[in-house]
Amino acid sequence: MASLTIDNVKKRYGQTEILKGINISIEAGEFLILVGPSGCGKSTLMNSIAGLEDVSEGRILIGDNDVTYASPKDRDIAMVFQSYALYPNMTVAENISFGLEMRKVPKEEREAEVERVAEMLQIGHLLKRKPAQLSGGQRQRVAMGRALARRPKMYLFDEPLSNLDAKLRVEMRTEIKKLHQKLGTTIVYVTHDQIEAMTLADRIAVMKDGEVQQLGTPQEIYDNPTNLFVAGFMGSPAMNFIPAKVVEQNGSYALELQAATPTIVPFPKPDSLKAHVGKEILLGLRPEMITEPQPHKEGKEFVVTADIDVEVTEPMGADTMVLTRIQSAEVNCRCNPAYPARAGEAIAMMFDTSKAVAFDKDNGQRIDN
Amino acid sequence: MSNVAKRQTSTLDKVLRIALYVCLLGMAAVYLAPFLVMLLTSLKDVEEIRSGTLLSLPSSLNFDAWSKAWSGACTGSQCEGMAPYFFNSFQIVIPAVAISTLLGALNGYVISHWKFKGSDVFFAALLVGCFIPFQVILLPMARTLGWLGIANTTTGLVMVHVVYGVAFTTLFFRNFYQSIPVELVKAARLDGAGFFTIFYRIILPVSTPIIVVTVIWQFTQIWNDFLFGVAFSGFDTQPVTVALNNLVNTSFGGKEYNVDMAAAIIAALPTLVVYILAGKYFVRGLTAGAVKG
Repeated sequence: MASLTIDNVKKRYGQTEILKGINISIEAGEFLILVGPSGCGKSTLMNSIAGLEDVSEGRILIGDNDVTYASPKDRDIAMVFQSYALYPNMTVAENISFGLEMRKVPKEEREAEVERVAEMLQIGHLLKRKPAQLSGGQRQRVAMGRALARRPKMYLFDEPLSNLDAKLRVEMRTEIKKLHQKLGTTIVYVTHDQIEAMTLADRIAVMKDGEVQQLGTPQEIYDNPTNLFVAGFMGSPAMNFIPAKVVEQNGSYALELQAATPTIVPFPKPDSLKAHVGKEILLGLRPEMITEPQPHKEGKEFVVTADIDVEVTEPMGADTMVLTRIQSAEVNCRCNPAYPARAGEAIAMMFDTSKAVAFDKDNGQRIDN
Repeated sequence: MSNVAKRQTSTLDKVLRIALYVCLLGMAAVYLAPFLVMLLTSLKDVEEIRSGTLLSLPSSLNFDAWSKAWSGACTGSQCEGMAPYFFNSFQIVIPAVAISTLLGALNGYVISHWKFKGSDVFFAALLVGCFIPFQVILLPMARTLGWLGIANTTTGLVMVHVVYGVAFTTLFFRNFYQSIPVELVKAARLDGAGFFTIFYRIILPVSTPIIVVTVIWQFTQIWNDFLFGVAFSGFDTQPVTVALNNLVNTSFGGKEYNVDMAAAIIAALPTLVVYILAGKYFVRGLTAGAVKG
């Protein structure tokens, strides 16, 4: 177990800058997730932490050791790869103990360790098989077993679940979380799946174009995204970005939306809107904050009911997503399935802006921070 | 229940099928005919060859020509048959194949998994080696062997074949290793394995198909080589191909076609055996792509 500090790390390939000065620091035992669209540099960053790629500038510290120029084997980290990367010529047991063998651990200890890991991951019956004789989920477990056997200071997971089918992915996700709770080790985990990021992480670093857009706890990132990109990336369905005009009202400031009829909604931090009076901004409102009228919320401070024109409805079982359009933006509302919204008709919706955020339309940055 | 569709075989289908087999057998005969003629001729005596036709069967099995070709026929002024040269060839081929295969494997491993600045240029330069005609390097190589003091020796010939073969073997191994996922090497590095340990423990064990391909290819190339053999070998280090040429061109009195044929078959035998033993791996190895982990 060790903390991890990434200090102004840059990586260039010729003229192209892949990492543009990354600063991340996590405590020992934390679960950090690097998330972002493909090409954002998250895998490069992970390879740099592992020592498989050199960095052009900056420092990487594991615990108090500066490992920026240390070779991979001296960093005491283990990695689980997307393709599992099991050694095809070795049995499962040999795969798990290979790292120990390389570190000259005596044979009896190796065997004991293989047994311990196999029991933890329930792969005892597979120990004599070759990787080719395993299913995807079993390979995944063996790959984790190989990482666990060495008891390293830190684990790196590079999109470990993306080759599994949907059901297995959810199972393994839970298992990784349990494993982390049980072992309490530092984990850095790369994924492009925002649900994995939300469910697993203690801290999430949202990356784009070689820069960290935001580093925070899952809830911070969900409730308080720093810009349009983070807001749109995390959450499914994504946050609604509703064009709204800032208006002055009774000495305070509010927002005017073009629902079925123009509607004025309040905003939690009205003073931050002052500089934008008369201009259009983007109101960020999560789908679950636009619902059918709920009696218990009636009359609360940031709740407004207005009619919308229903474009499409998408029943999801627990909820029904109702799609409408406000100016050019598509807006998702999360409703009770019993609410009789029908495509082509107008229906009342309750807008709860207590957690709403506002973005500058031109540069995508938050304006209410 | 007779609603199961039965396979209908019309007369036309049968005729076409027979035509196909006749065609295939005909082609096989065309390819096998020269070898058959050689075999038949080697079993006849000189008198029978003169009176009979190429394809007529020998009146009795007569292996005199084979024993003469093996141990008594004259190659130039020596009359010891093919045997000593046959062993010469093995002395050249075995080390040359082993060394060039090993070097090719190492080169391929480096080029595909330990890329360095200029490794692509290095590979491109090696590839050019595949296209250099033998004749072009004869003189420079002769000078080089002279400088190194290994002209006209088996060692010299081995070196020539290794140098010439490494371009091909590297190409084979590089293409094969390209299909081995880089994560495998990364995982081994994180596990603490070094350059040679990874090669020996992870890469080599999955290389069997390409090793077989390379060994067959190199064995055939080097065994069949004539030009380097005739140019760089000494009097007593000549390979079997050169000896065969000398044997056929040496005549005291009448031409002994039966001995010539037997000698030619002897010279060709090892490559035939290698291909028959490992041929199926050859095809498998050439088509082998992904190593599934």
